[in-house]
Amino acid sequence: MKDYFLHKRIDHPKLLVLACAVMEQEIRRFQNGKVEFKFFDYGLHRTPENMSKVLQIEIDQVPEEEYDGIVLGYGLCSNGIVGICAHKYPMIVPRIHDCISLFLGSPESYQEQAEQHPGTYYLTPGWIEKGETPISKFNSYAQSYGEETARWVLHEEMKNYTRILLINTGGYEIEPYQKIARENAEFLGISYQELQGSSALFKSLVIGPWEKDFLIIERGHTIQQGMFLDI
Amino acid sequence: MGEGICSQEMRNHNKTGKTVAEMRGPNPIFDGEEVSQMLERLSRAVVMRDCKSVKELTERMIMEEVDFFRILNQGLIPGMLAVSERFRRGECYVPELLMSSRALNIGLHTLRPLIQEIKKDVLGRVVIGTVKFDLHDIGKNLVIILLEGNGFEIIDLGVDVSPERFVKAVEKYDAQILAMSALLTSTMGWMKSTIELLHHSRINGRVKTLVGGAPVSPIFAKNIGADGYCQEATSAPSVAKMLLGKD
Repeated sequence: MKDYFLHKRIDHPKLLVLACAVMEQEIRRFQNGKVEFKFFDYGLHRTPENMSKVLQIEIDQVPEEEYDGIVLGYGLCSNGIVGICAHKYPMIVPRIHDCISLFLGSPESYQEQAEQHPGTYYLTPGWIEKGETPISKFNSYAQSYGEETARWVLHEEMKNYTRILLINTGGYEIEPYQKIARENAEFLGISYQELQGSSALFKSLVIGPWEKDFLIIERGHTIQQGMFLDI
Repeated sequence: MGEGICSQEMRNHNKTGKTVAEMRGPNPIFDGEEVSQMLERLSRAVVMRDCKSVKELTERMIMEEVDFFRILNQGLIPGMLAVSERFRRGECYVPELLMSSRALNIGLHTLRPLIQEIKKDVLGRVVIGTVKFDLHDIGKNLVIILLEGNGFEIIDLGVDVSPERFVKAVEKYDAQILAMSALLTSTMGWMKSTIELLHHSRINGRVKTLVGGAPVSPIFAKNIGADGYCQEATSAPSVAKMLLGKD
């Protein structure tokens, strides 16, 4: 698996990256002229059943012999990519539970954070811009159901969270995001922390090498939950 | 409809604490067709998150001596099941799920006098919690509402429960079922660790394990050796009864 494409005598594989919009900036940094990108609304992760359907339709529509492979900029995402199968291309998929591993640079860093602080609400500039925050959720709930109900729903949803962690992967003017992340922590009455992220796993995702943190799914094979689990 | 109305309903109900006889009144009316229509309306009220109607309809059916399990299993639970399915298909989201759970809870509060009447027939004791490092408890709390409503006694260990705490609690409370919930694919492995610890404990064989949560599949449940699996929170009562041979 170490160098899948070299093994096939393809020095610079032409790849199509299908990824979540929250990581667009981090991924675009590694544009090398051989990679094409397509980004999808972050909201897909809220309904895993729909995520796999949307991505499958997209994959089925990719013309034959245009690329050497398809890269998925998604983790297992609550089984949102389970069942996906590419008949025309091999797929490269990061072997991670969700995108936080990508932002932190490794599944190990994510595990460390999740185990030390299980009540962490992670934010990145991409999540703030293209995804959602507790405050944006509150505003959306309030619009539909009024402030009192919105407060109750958000409390029920967020009552076990104890900190907001802003991951800074660099390349941004971070101050505006720090301000928003802090405001969210204050809004929930929980602690705020910041952590230097890493681009390492994003780099590997787009230009390789696809080593231990990646799965190569051969054409015609289907993504399964068990591929991501260590049990 | 807002949180205020529902909270108020709950408080009023708790305050008045009507007995079953008071709710039923002197002359119960029987009309099969009307009852099934009322049950349908009750389901719809749960779907529509309408706490007020849920309370009124439940009270009316108690008055008309509709069987407790019929109100629960043909009225309240089908409504909640419909909401869970809509949630899974992305046709509604967390707020709607939570508000329907709250309406369901109002219905069960209203049924409480009946639950107390049949409480002598406790079906079994269930130790429940979310697994280690998982703090997402919306599904688990819904399962608790449903199991309690069906006559199970619940020991709720809360969230982020280690295998050791689960096993100790089962032993301490002499539970017949250990129920675990996880929302994250990264934490559901702790279900396996808990079941393994249970198998190595002296209470092995005395307790059935039940697992569920959005990412948990029947294959996963089987692979880790769980005795029961719930695809939806609403199936928890029937699976739990089946595990104890009381279905």
